[in-house]
Amino acid sequence: MNPKNNLIIALVCAGVIAMSYHIDANPAEFVKGVPNLSIVLKEMTEVEPDLFGIAFWSMLETIEMAFIGTVVGIVIALPLSMLAARNLNSKFIYVPLRGILAAARTFPSILWAILFVIMVGLGPFAGILAIIMYTVGFIAKLQYESIEAVDSDPVEAVRSIGVSKSQLIRHVIIPESAPHLLSQILYMFDYNVRQTSILGLVGAGGIGFYIINYIKFFEYGKAAVFMLVVLITVLIIDFVSVKIRDKYIVKAQKGMEVKV
Amino acid sequence: MSLNKLVKKSFSDGSFTNLSTISTKTLIQMNDVWASYDAKNYCLKEIKLSIDRGINYAIVGQSGSGKSTLLKIINGMMIPSKGQIRVDYQTPNMNNKQFKHAMSKIGYIPQSLGLVKNISVIENVLIGALPRIGKINSFLKKFPENEICEAEKLIKLVGLEGKSERKTYMLSGGEKRRVAIARALMQKPILLLADEIVSELDQVTAREIMELIADAQRRLNLTAVMVHHDMKLALEYANRVAVIKEGQKILEIGVEGDKIVDFQSGNMTQQEIMELYNRNEP
Repeated sequence: MNPKNNLIIALVCAGVIAMSYHIDANPAEFVKGVPNLSIVLKEMTEVEPDLFGIAFWSMLETIEMAFIGTVVGIVIALPLSMLAARNLNSKFIYVPLRGILAAARTFPSILWAILFVIMVGLGPFAGILAIIMYTVGFIAKLQYESIEAVDSDPVEAVRSIGVSKSQLIRHVIIPESAPHLLSQILYMFDYNVRQTSILGLVGAGGIGFYIINYIKFFEYGKAAVFMLVVLITVLIIDFVSVKIRDKYIVKAQKGMEVKV
Repeated sequence: MSLNKLVKKSFSDGSFTNLSTISTKTLIQMNDVWASYDAKNYCLKEIKLSIDRGINYAIVGQSGSGKSTLLKIINGMMIPSKGQIRVDYQTPNMNNKQFKHAMSKIGYIPQSLGLVKNISVIENVLIGALPRIGKINSFLKKFPENEICEAEKLIKLVGLEGKSERKTYMLSGGEKRRVAIARALMQKPILLLADEIVSELDQVTAREIMELIADAQRRLNLTAVMVHHDMKLALEYANRVAVIKEGQKILEIGVEGDKIVDFQSGNMTQQEIMELYNRNEP
């Protein structure tokens, strides 16, 4: 390793130490807090099995919210991503649109949820709106980047036939960027389920509402039931996503036959 | 004797039945064409050429000699810096709405083939029909029955029968070239531009592809301008061969009777041309 790299590593390490000192993030506090964690963990082992029914239904509500938010968000994001792609539009269209999409992405969905709780009141609908906002900002960005990365050869070849822009989008851009989209949808749904699980913290529905309430009243055993259900659900979604990716995306990228 | 006279002669004695589609009208005319990508270095210089309808015109040259640029100028994807070009009585320019109709009649097969890899063979072929399809139908991917029949016919013609529903990325290099040819023919073109379409193929497949194009030319009264790397292959299939070196046309040769003749300067001896022929590369 050359001296320049060593200097960079030393500077980064010094930065981490200096910033930790500045914000009072002391590792000694972590060591001191370990006994507290053991108390919580002990209480968490005292789970109340009666609550699994409620936990299951609230998890179902969470999944439904994430599903609706992801689907509606994607439906809105796709046409916007076409308009935000630099290779398809003039800068008078894509520059302001990218600004709006960046704004939608800047706030995490929990902040959007606070805004929508104020707007439409407590409950799952505010959570769905928050998920939609974040999904639009995120998927539109991923998609316009995929569109810009589409191989220019088929675009140039088909453009030379004298087709219209809408035909070019429908017959070249969409099919060429579609494999990325499937992967993005899976990722987004996975992410949205995790996000929706905590939206209950601000009263926007879902399983998070129970978790935060039980934690507030120090009922860690009850909270643990709900956290366990979230964990199992996320693991199942992750497993299914991997299977779908293997079947439709990885094989397609390797040029292997895909059986639909 | 000019090639046109040779053609007329061939008509009278019936010696070249495959040349029956040749007309004397010029399809492509270039006068003193210069082209540049950066406004400094010219990749084409003083190009003068005239291509008659119905012939197979080959452009041969080494990598970076300007061959592909020449094709892009013919189909209007690139505008020359200087000089004049007419293709079927029009000035090529892809940004010109009037020329868009002419573009729909120019089949262009780039070196990369430009196929959409995630769709099926027939969907790729039907792209050639898009300029004839309404916007709503093309958005819904709803093609008229006659266009689907035509696409199936062309898929059969290029030897891909039974593979029309196969995804394009699953095809071999030779099969992909066949799809690109079928897509170009689906345009019902008057002109076919092909950029090194056989350069990466083995000799047998390369000949099959060249035969396929020669057959399509005969059937459809098609003019073909093909860029080649292999001089021998160019001379075998083309009526005329132009050699481009460092952006300049240094040689134009064609068949006259049983001889190869230098049409550019007229100064090359038969022996010199044959030496060039045997070198394989320009």
